[in-house]
This record gives sequence, structure tokens and C-alpha cells, in this order.
Amino acid sequence: MSRRYDSRTTIFSPEGRLYQVEYAMEAIGHAGSCVGVFSNEGVVLAVEKKVTSKLLEVSDQSEKMYVIDKHISCAVAGITADANILINQARLAAQRYRYQYQEPIPVEYLLQQVCDTKQGYTQFGGLRPFGVSFLFAGWDRHYGFQLYQSDPSGNYGGWKATAIGSNSNAAQSIMKSDYKEGLSLKEAHELAIKVLSKTMDSTTLAADKLEVTTMLKNKETNEVQVHRLREKELESLLTTSGLLSAQTETSG
Amino acid sequence: MSILEYNGGCVVAMAGKECVAIAADRRLGIQLQTLACDANRVFRMHDKLFLGLTGLMTDITSLHNSFDFKLNMYSMREGRLMSPQTFSSLVASTLYEKRFGPYFSEPVIAGLNKDNTPFLCAMDLLGAAAYADDFVVSGTCAESLFGTCETFYRPDLGPDDLFETISQAMLSALDRDCISGWGVTVHIITPEGVTAKSLKARMD
Amino acid sequence: MDSIIALTGDGFVMCAADMTNARSIVVMKEDMDKIMELDRHRLLCMAGEPGDVAQFTEYVQKNVHLYQLRTGVSQSTRAIANFTRNELAKSLRKNPYSVNLLLGGYDQHDGPEVFYLDYLGTLHKMPFSAQGYCAYFILATLDRYYKPNMSEQEALEVMRKAIDEVRIRFLIKQPDFLIKVVDKNGIRTVSK
Repeated sequence: MSRRYDSRTTIFSPEGRLYQVEYAMEAIGHAGSCVGVFSNEGVVLAVEKKVTSKLLEVSDQSEKMYVIDKHISCAVAGITADANILINQARLAAQRYRYQYQEPIPVEYLLQQVCDTKQGYTQFGGLRPFGVSFLFAGWDRHYGFQLYQSDPSGNYGGWKATAIGSNSNAAQSIMKSDYKEGLSLKEAHELAIKVLSKTMDSTTLAADKLEVTTMLKNKETNEVQVHRLREKELESLLTTSGLLSAQTETSG
Repeated sequence: MSILEYNGGCVVAMAGKECVAIAADRRLGIQLQTLACDANRVFRMHDKLFLGLTGLMTDITSLHNSFDFKLNMYSMREGRLMSPQTFSSLVASTLYEKRFGPYFSEPVIAGLNKDNTPFLCAMDLLGAAAYADDFVVSGTCAESLFGTCETFYRPDLGPDDLFETISQAMLSALDRDCISGWGVTVHIITPEGVTAKSLKARMD
Repeated sequence: MDSIIALTGDGFVMCAADMTNARSIVVMKEDMDKIMELDRHRLLCMAGEPGDVAQFTEYVQKNVHLYQLRTGVSQSTRAIANFTRNELAKSLRKNPYSVNLLLGGYDQHDGPEVFYLDYLGTLHKMPFSAQGYCAYFILATLDRYYKPNMSEQEALEVMRKAIDEVRIRFLIKQPDFLIKVVDKNGIRTVSK
């Protein structure tokens, strides 16, 4: 019975569900996990790097972490090609706002635009939805640091700590119990990678298996920056959390 | 009065040994009335690339905003900063797009290439670029600036000497132009960083 | 023919505008309000072609309001100034608005600011400014008497000096001026 209803994205099923949107979320459930943790001093995004083949050229540019503007970054879970389209649109939207108002775009304003695009693909055109979920981390002068999650339906929410991608439910339940109000940035880092280690396929973590970016305020210039942790910083973070894998400890 | 002389102003850029300096006056006027003495004509595009714009202030602002947009998109997409040569092509094509209704602004581009050699370029309002390895000028007292620069310039100056030279060239030329002046800002760009200095000029 | 003046003081912006609406030899109105309230903390003083002024400033006001409704926060004075400048610059080469503006606002983070914005789209932030013929008379007066961070009393004195100068030396009779002040508490009128 339901077969007649899920071949077209823009149609409700008799139970009142949008199957294509749900299938998109299924697709995202197979992607590498992303974790985001908010603190008053900054926002941490940590992602699992899934290396599919040793033959793949290692690129400096990530396929999971992107900078949208100087004050907004995001992590992606899902179909990379779909994500690229939305990331490009988000970047253009942020620059258009900057052009018009000569000010950085408020994070939620940008998110509304991205999500309005996603929603459009669930209602008109007969095209499939985007198979991407995002974690947006940003800062603006109205609300300070913020962490948002958006999904293929076009819904978004502001979060203190959240996860997307594979094992995101497990990650969420860990964070529910471990997240405390008033975390320092350091504690946010530790929470993020602790949760990531529990949800990743591999049992031990190495610096080249994950990526961490932090949205923080530069202490000297008081400007907001997106800081991508380098290998040394990642290793020291893993060591202090006691999660560094045995192999890298002996070789490094 | 021509449109390019409506607001007044001038910019000059000079090359030294592994450094460039760019200087501009600070007057904003409406024909012969002075409105402000803190107008900004030189813009930092990134740490090794500066853009100076002369001419109509509204077009200066519009162009600068548009280049910021394009440069930001480029650096995010490419994951690297735009080289001065590429930027000069971008500026030229942006200006030529409006060939039959141009922006009334004449840019000066000063930067350091990847190997820290200086890059200088000046354009007219339609985007006709002229590259130089000594100095470039633009603005209402461009002719005077050509004269003073030719006299004071010497190749391969260090950052401090370059600052002295460009300041003297600028101040001398400014004094002969009634619609430029009211102060000067100088930016010296070296591989280590950028220094900004202000000069006290005749306030008239 | 409109005279508009704006200056920043200690935590406030004071704007003055003449109240005469005249066309060639006829005076049509002596009580026109040329200082529009964009939102709780911004004033837009308008000068120029009457039709263009009304159209353009209302357009700006409604857009400011729309942004606030959509996002729940109000923009900074600088953002509004740049938005307005953008609109003027866009229309300059299509169907230009003959409107000269002074935007004065109090912002929580940036404090009091006055922006000069002319019909070409020249935007410049200044401690004090004036538009119209009166500028020729009073910019020098303001240069002489203006001090940064004046109290409201002192600012009113300086404003009075400037307005008196216009009254004495300007060819056109402009008997009444409206003065409005905007600070962290909002907008109030200090009539002349």
C-alpha cells in the first residue's frame, strides 16, 4: 500500500509521513559521525574521518568540515555531493548579507535560508531531498556562540550538545548524561572526543582518524576565528583524554 | 568638474626590496567643500594584498564591497589566498563589465607575490591595467605624483627607506592639489607583516 | 532647501531639521517632520526631492521593521546605514533617488553614531554633519564649537548656535526647527 506513496517525494503517506525525507535520514545514518558541543567560550565540532581506500589522495581540504564565513563553520554528515551544493549556497548567502549590510550574517538567519532551501525540495519540484544533515557552529553579536543542527526535512534546532551520522542516538544519550552547564572550552573538547570515540567504528583513536574544529574568540584580537586543530594538538588532546591508540603512542 | 574629481583623493604605491608601500590621502569632499578628513581609500584584501581606489566615493565603496565578496568566496572555495596577479585580472574584468556605464574609480593594486617579490598595478576606470616594478599612481594629482615619484624613487629600498620615500613623494604632490590632502595613511607590506602609519600633512 | 543637522554627544545623538515645506515661491507647510524614526533607536533625517524622500525613507523604514519581525533582533546602525547606501547605489544608475540623509542612531555595542549619506551613495561616519545649503554656513560653526562627548545641555547650546546661524544668513526663511534626541532609552523630541 505504501509503495504508491514513497516514489514521489512531495506526497504524504496515508500515515502522514514523508517517506523520502525519512529515507534521506537513513542514508545519513550510514555516514561518519559528527559531534558538536557548545560552551560559553566557544563551540567544538568533531568528526570521524572515514578513509575508504588507501589509494585515495589525501587532500588538505576536508570533506566533512567547511568554513561558511569567518564566524560560521559547519560539519557535514551524508552525501558529500549534496552537501557541496548547500555549502556553496550558504557561503553565497553569507557573502550577500555581508555585501548588503557590511556585517557578518547572524547564524540563525543563515540557517533559516539553508533550511528554507532544503524544505523546498520536500514540497515542490518532485525532486528528492538533500541527503545531508549539518552541524553549524557560529558566533554573532546578538546571541554569542551558537550550535545548530539541521536535517533533510528542513527543520533545525539550537543545541547544547548533539550528534549526527552513524550511532548518533548512542552519542546523544551519552551526552545527555555527561553534558554539564557552564563547560569550559577544554571540557567541551574532551566531551566531544570522548563521545566520538564511543561511537566510532574503531576502538582506538588516532589523530589521523578524526578532525576537530573550534569556534573561538582570539584572545589578542577579540575576533572570532575558526581554528582547525593540527595533528600535534589533536594528539595532545587525545593523550590528556586517555584515548590515544597504542600504536601511535609507541611510534610517536 | 569631471566626475572623477568630484570627491578628490589620490593613491600611490611603490616597490622596494621584498616590500611594497601604498599611501593615500584622507580628504573626502564634495567638489570644493571638505566633508571629512578621515576617509579611507586603501583596503586590505589580505595580508599580502592591498587595493587603493580613487575617484567617486560611492563607487569606491561599491567596488570594495564587491571585491571583498569575490575574494572571500575564492578563498573558501580554493582553500588559499588569491595572488596579486589573479586579483588584478579580477579587478580589470569587474571594471570592464561596466564598459558602457563604468564605475568612476581608478584602482591601484599593491602586493607581494608568493616568492615575496613586489607586485604593482594601476588601472584606469575601464580596467586597462599597467604593471610596473617601481611605482604606480592614481587620483586627482596623478600627474604631480608621477613627477615626485620619478624624482625620489630608487630601486631596492628597504621598508624604512621606502616609507620615507613614498611619504615625501606623496606630501610634495598633495600640497599642489587643492582637492587632495588633509592627512595621509601609509601601509608598508613586508613578508613579516603590515605596518600602518599616518602622516601629518598640511590641513588645507 | 532643507536644512538638517546631526551631532553625537555623550551616549546620545541629537538631530535637528527645519520644518518648512516649500516649492518655488510658495510655502506649503510650516510643521513638517523631516526626522523619521526608523526604530526605537534610529533617526533618519531627510532632505531632497519631496516625492523621492517620502518613497525612499518609507521603504527603508519598512525594511528595517521587516528584518526585526523576521529575526526578532534589530540591526546595528551601521548595518542599516549600509543597507540604505546599497539601495541608493543600486538605483543610482537606473532611476536615481534625489535624497540626502543623515542617519543617527544609538547602538548598545557601538554607542552613538551619525552617518552622512548623500544621493550618490557616499557613506561616511562622522561625529557631526549637516546636509543642504545650511551645511555651507554651519559646518564651520560646528567645527569651532563641537566637542566630543558633550552633555545634552551643551549639545543643545551648540545646536542653537548652528540654527541661529542659518536663521541669520540663509536667504530662505526657516523659522522653525524640530530637534530630536535618541539615546539608550529611545527617542524624544526637544522642540525649538
